[in-house]
Amino acid sequence: MSKDMHPGRVFAFMILLAIMITMSYVISGQLFKFGAMVISAFTTGEGAESAMQAGELMHKLTPVHNGLAVIVAIVMTICVVQRFLRTKNEMRGAFLKRMFLYEALAVGVVVVLFPFFWMLCTSFKPSGQELVISKTNPFDIVPSEPTLDNFRRVLKTDAASVAAGALDPIENKKNFGTYFLNSLLVATTAAFLVTLFASMGAYVFSKKELPYKQQMFMLLLATMMIPGMMFMVPQFFMVCKMGLFGTKWAMFLPHLASVFGIFMLKQFMDTIPDSLIEAAQIDGASEWQVFRVVIVPLALPIILTLFLLTFLFHWSNFLWQLIVTNFENPLSITLPVGLALFRGQYTSELGLIMSASCFSIVPIAVLFLFAQRYFIEGMTQGAVKE
Amino acid sequence: MAIRTSQDTAVAAGFLSPFMLLFGTFLIFPIFYSFYLSFFGSPTDYSLSNLEFVGLANYKRIIGDFQFWWSLGVTALYGVISIPLGICASLALALLLDNKLFGKSFFRSAFFLPNVLDMLVVGVIWTLIYAPKFGALAQITTWLMGENNFFNTTGLLGSPYTALLAVVIAMVLKGAGFGMVLFLAALQNIPEAVYEAADIDGASEWQKFTKITVPLLRPIIIFMVITGVIGSLNAFTEIYAMTSGGPQVVMGGETVGSTSVAGYYLFKQFDSGNYGYAAAISYMLLIITLGITWLQQRIASRNDAMEAKK
Repeated sequence: MSKDMHPGRVFAFMILLAIMITMSYVISGQLFKFGAMVISAFTTGEGAESAMQAGELMHKLTPVHNGLAVIVAIVMTICVVQRFLRTKNEMRGAFLKRMFLYEALAVGVVVVLFPFFWMLCTSFKPSGQELVISKTNPFDIVPSEPTLDNFRRVLKTDAASVAAGALDPIENKKNFGTYFLNSLLVATTAAFLVTLFASMGAYVFSKKELPYKQQMFMLLLATMMIPGMMFMVPQFFMVCKMGLFGTKWAMFLPHLASVFGIFMLKQFMDTIPDSLIEAAQIDGASEWQVFRVVIVPLALPIILTLFLLTFLFHWSNFLWQLIVTNFENPLSITLPVGLALFRGQYTSELGLIMSASCFSIVPIAVLFLFAQRYFIEGMTQGAVKE
Repeated sequence: MAIRTSQDTAVAAGFLSPFMLLFGTFLIFPIFYSFYLSFFGSPTDYSLSNLEFVGLANYKRIIGDFQFWWSLGVTALYGVISIPLGICASLALALLLDNKLFGKSFFRSAFFLPNVLDMLVVGVIWTLIYAPKFGALAQITTWLMGENNFFNTTGLLGSPYTALLAVVIAMVLKGAGFGMVLFLAALQNIPEAVYEAADIDGASEWQKFTKITVPLLRPIIIFMVITGVIGSLNAFTEIYAMTSGGPQVVMGGETVGSTSVAGYYLFKQFDSGNYGYAAAISYMLLIITLGITWLQQRIASRNDAMEAKK
């Protein structure tokens, strides 16, 4: 056994193992600490004293989250060492390669997702303490004295805002709860209308006869090459001339014609056999019934995908919403515009800006968790087709 | 039968008309309307009515507008840096993931997640990461190198030499997962037999990568270049969120923004009420875009012809 041992390989394994132990301890430690922090923040009240209380609570929870992190690191170490010992000597090179691969991927995930984790952590930091980091370990970014005050302030439910709100209710409604609802309304309405019109249009392009159909479709595709920025000035003029400036309609109306949506749905509807439609027609279904009972249910996954993507587009359609927002009516502001305004007012209040950012990021991240297949397949669809 | 056909046509037109109406109104008409607007002057009072007809004055102004040509240069630079970096990052991730791995779908989703998040918010977060004194990067470098380091005093976004690069890094990290999924799908379509044949011929790993993998991924690379070009011409939100076109530099007697891309310059003109001029700029950009698209297709078809000859 010892004769076959490759000293270089064992050395490489030791280094990779050390990196793995450090990474698993730091990452799981931060995640568990984050969990403890959220619990402490939610169980304590408002103000600086509560932050101290939450800090004490977290201090009590330290053995728990630190212990969990140590357990994770130990369990992983045992598993990996056992696997390594069990691996046949000639396979060990491949084993080390795989270990390196996992570590490289883990570093990649940390780099890509770090900004968002930092955002979450900073949003729980008490005002004025965003700059305070642990002197011994700068990678410990989870706050030790968490508070929900930032969220209270951006929602204007903290004591000072509520007192001010008694005098000026409008001022009090200028909060991220309102902006969130506005964005939700705009994005949902737009997504609903886009999917409705696009699926009706795609049905015609895929299954119906119409003079100049092909030419129309080519025209649609040609406009996809034009950067959207070019439409800003004329669309703005049109919306204003229609008298819609500052209304919710203006926020999505010019973007209802989704060429991408038509393209995506047509690709899918081409795979629905014509015989199904004919069968429905023989059964005496009207044109609208054929569409509603045959086409829509069969194309539902792709329609849902388009719905989600359109929702996403309007959720972050910052430039257009910025120029059509009437700032004299602050209650019509949507999330991205609200955030841009807010950042101008509180340049150095990191905690406030970050907790405001959460309103845009967290719902979409949660949505992504549940519907990631639709998002990934939908967004990459057009490209894979050659 | 003839009646039946015309009725079908009517139904088809009925189904298509809501979409085509919107399409015609908001995507086709603006192309002409923008052209029309570009012959009008720029009111100083932000009013949309009583625009004065000025003929070709806007176009003459563009030709002499150093800021406009500068912003085009910045846009080109932005594309030249971000497109290859984006392709390399996505390809690297895809190659890492193109193995039999436990938890592959987790990694795939984790890398893809930033793509769906709001550009403005991502830009704001990165601004705070880059920020001197209190940003995350400044804190880490202070811990490592002491207070007097570049990241803590100026910050990546504070220097005209690094600001554009800093924006590109943030955007590449946000977008890498998208290209990764495309590359991954293409990589998995390459049959294993091709590599085995190359092994028999004694090809090295690098040769296999450059002679087999990259040529087979060419359609994806072309797609990413095309979308990257459109993305650079469309770039606005990331610049607005991260640099506001700054930091300013003096070039040939004029103060210009070192990250002021064309999209941002167009917005600035629009925002200060120069509607006619902004319309003229969008028209110029449209013509440039069409030119680039035409050029790309020429190159792609010429390459295809060359491939065919081999």
